[in-house]
Amino acid sequence: MQAELSDITVRFGALTAVDHVSLRFSAGEIHAVVGENGAGKSTVMNVLFGLVRPAAGSISLDGRAHVWRTPQDAIAHGLGMVHQHFMLQDSMTVLENIVLGAEPLRPFGFVDFGAARRRLAEIASAYGIGVDVARRVADLSVSERQIVEILKVLYREAELLILDEPTAVLTPQETGRLFGILRNFRQSGKAIVLITHKLDEVMQIADRVSVMRGGKLIASTTLGETSKTEIARGIIGGELPAALKRADTAPGEVVLAVEGLEARGRGRAAGPVSLSVRRGEIVGIAGISGNGQSQLIEALVGMRAPLAGRVVVLGRDVTSADVARHRAAGLSYIPADRQRVGLALQARISENAAIGRETSPAFRRGPFLRRDAMVRFARQLIERYAIKAAGPNARSASLSGGNKQKLVVGRELSRDTPLVIAENPTWGVDIGAIDFIHRELIRMRDSGHAVLLISTELDEVIALSDRIFVLADGRIAGEFSAATADRLAIGALMTSRDQPRQAA
Amino acid sequence: MDTAFMRRLGPWVAVLAWIFGILLVLMLVVHAHFGEALSGFFNSAFGGRNLAYLMATLSRTTLIVGMALSSMFSFRAGLFNIGGEGQLVAGGMVAALVGVYLPGWGPLVLVCGILAGMAAGAAWALLAGVMQSYLGVPLLIGSLLLNYPAAYIASYLVGHPFRDVASGLPQTFQVQAGTWLPFIPGTRLDVGIVAIIVVAVGAVIYANNTVAGYRARMNGLAPEFARASGLPVRPLLFQTLAISGAVAGLVGGLAVFGVSHRFTDGMLVEPLYAWTGIIAVLLVGMVPWAVPISGFFFAAVETGAAGMERTANVPQQVALIMQAVIILFVAGRISGASLVREAEDGDGL
Repeated sequence: MQAELSDITVRFGALTAVDHVSLRFSAGEIHAVVGENGAGKSTVMNVLFGLVRPAAGSISLDGRAHVWRTPQDAIAHGLGMVHQHFMLQDSMTVLENIVLGAEPLRPFGFVDFGAARRRLAEIASAYGIGVDVARRVADLSVSERQIVEILKVLYREAELLILDEPTAVLTPQETGRLFGILRNFRQSGKAIVLITHKLDEVMQIADRVSVMRGGKLIASTTLGETSKTEIARGIIGGELPAALKRADTAPGEVVLAVEGLEARGRGRAAGPVSLSVRRGEIVGIAGISGNGQSQLIEALVGMRAPLAGRVVVLGRDVTSADVARHRAAGLSYIPADRQRVGLALQARISENAAIGRETSPAFRRGPFLRRDAMVRFARQLIERYAIKAAGPNARSASLSGGNKQKLVVGRELSRDTPLVIAENPTWGVDIGAIDFIHRELIRMRDSGHAVLLISTELDEVIALSDRIFVLADGRIAGEFSAATADRLAIGALMTSRDQPRQAA
Repeated sequence: MDTAFMRRLGPWVAVLAWIFGILLVLMLVVHAHFGEALSGFFNSAFGGRNLAYLMATLSRTTLIVGMALSSMFSFRAGLFNIGGEGQLVAGGMVAALVGVYLPGWGPLVLVCGILAGMAAGAAWALLAGVMQSYLGVPLLIGSLLLNYPAAYIASYLVGHPFRDVASGLPQTFQVQAGTWLPFIPGTRLDVGIVAIIVVAVGAVIYANNTVAGYRARMNGLAPEFARASGLPVRPLLFQTLAISGAVAGLVGGLAVFGVSHRFTDGMLVEPLYAWTGIIAVLLVGMVPWAVPISGFFFAAVETGAAGMERTANVPQQVALIMQAVIILFVAGRISGASLVREAEDGDGL
């Protein structure tokens, strides 16, 4: 199948999200679409898949023009999309999930599961996919769920597959397996669109690469005609940030000591975990999302009472203290979810900036707030952390993702506490903001603060950390020093639990 | 700016058109003379000899806005205290008992009665907070359920131990005449409205300019954010509920000393002051300055409806159906607005 998008334009209110973009996807080709968050790549794909209706432009398949009213139209014409967030029913089996909405029927409306199972077995063996269709989705690992999503698309006889950031939740090993499957698809003549922001993967697997920036198509070439640096330059529209540099410092006294910490939340237990973080070092915790990170962090910052263990900050036992006392003991926290936890989006920037400081004499006069002081402080943060904002009294919802995150980072780091806990601090922000936040964290480390970095972005953990712990199934599965850190070794430990169950 | 304003205005125009249309259909169904009904409605909402009807509307507005403000304190802090009715009854009952049985100089008894009513309202609200914090009963449910015992306890008290038997009704004796709230000079409107204006102004100052109000508002906008930032969430809950309940208790006291001069069974429950107040505050999206306007609107609908029945023979229920229709439109607007907000808050595209 050859799919063509011609001159697509999409507007959301006053914003032009996609600006006259034309793309062609051919059979037997893996086509990577790269760009920063907000560059418009997901929106273009949503147009192709019928989720977003363009203001202008047309879609054609094998030369015939089509207008999608719903994604069902697109699916009926052989398009399939695997979304970043899986859309599966946990309580149903793999087979039931796959046939849902496309059930082969016998007379009187009974579902012919036997026929479905046979067809699925054919598809799976044709592409070298191994999966037990009788298992419940709830029992599958993240990468297995992704395979189910892909099977769902294949079952509907898709000739063009769109995968939105498929490797975001995978270890390097799982990524390798996924790519093997994608190569099989290519061989059998399917068209594959890979939305990603990881250039190494593009170089590894793509035949053609299209770069988007600010809603515009910057370049669309075969991989042979371009290079990694050229793609990167196209993505950010300028030179690459310089490599991160860190001072040579010896770590000092222990700031955070965790012993046998166990916590439970959202039905899952984590721990026991023991570790320590000293002044002048960044300790990274790598792991796939959902392996106990949130439970441990909530216990560490006082949002959840631990089941067992001890948390000591600068010699003060804060195991069962509340958040306020944790923070008073010398801790700042950059949460992963800036939309709900990091900020009150409907409140002003100044109100978000001053949170936690409102009782200090600088911000209050008796029972009254000193609004002027809050505004002045917000202005300082905006300047110091290069936050692009309409002003200190703008709503924080009006900020872009990167600037929201800079506001959170700025607020927390400016407390200048001995300990900083950062949870996925650069999740979903643009390259400029990532680089800025990384530099700020390293600056904190170099000036003698202790930083605990919990991230699902393995590259980030490796780039910043002095020591790395690997978290799998709520426990520490291994420890590395910066010198011995190896992507593959860490990746192997990240799934130490899932390994034996892996069907592929 | 202009187009944004028009975009916001558009839906409201449509809503008004719908409401008007539905009203028209209702009128046709009950065979009412439209013009007569309308003039009856407006006359009895805003007119009357010496503006007597307008005074009745304003008096009702006072109580509704008071209850709206009570709810607003909670809602803006993210606490779904819908037990305003119980807090109102507790406040009114206690205020009446003080007014009847505490001897002394009238104005002093009045102040004591009002303060006692506020304390009773606050206590009743705090009870719901205690149930949530220590027993795990969600505030929404706890505060709602506490409305019933409050109403029944009050019924019992005025039905038995404190009943003015001679009056023939389940009600207390009259509070002593010295405690009656005076009328605003030249009108038939008691000064209770002044108290509510003070509360309304206070609510704006509290929300925007005090540390406690700021914290409460942050907690209301983003509870996870408040928690992660180390705000004292539980004290905040109690403090907010106490304020909310005290305002409801104040309204109960004002109703006793300003309007009825005694506590009659059902007098605070049947007119649905608390519920109308909740609707009035939701109608304007919890914006403090707009609450008095929407409270006045609801009071006018109710007094106007009564008048419409008198003059044009249109059943009162027509106006109440209309009120319900308005509520439905509001519910639609609120959910629509939250959808829009989610889209706007999205990070990327």
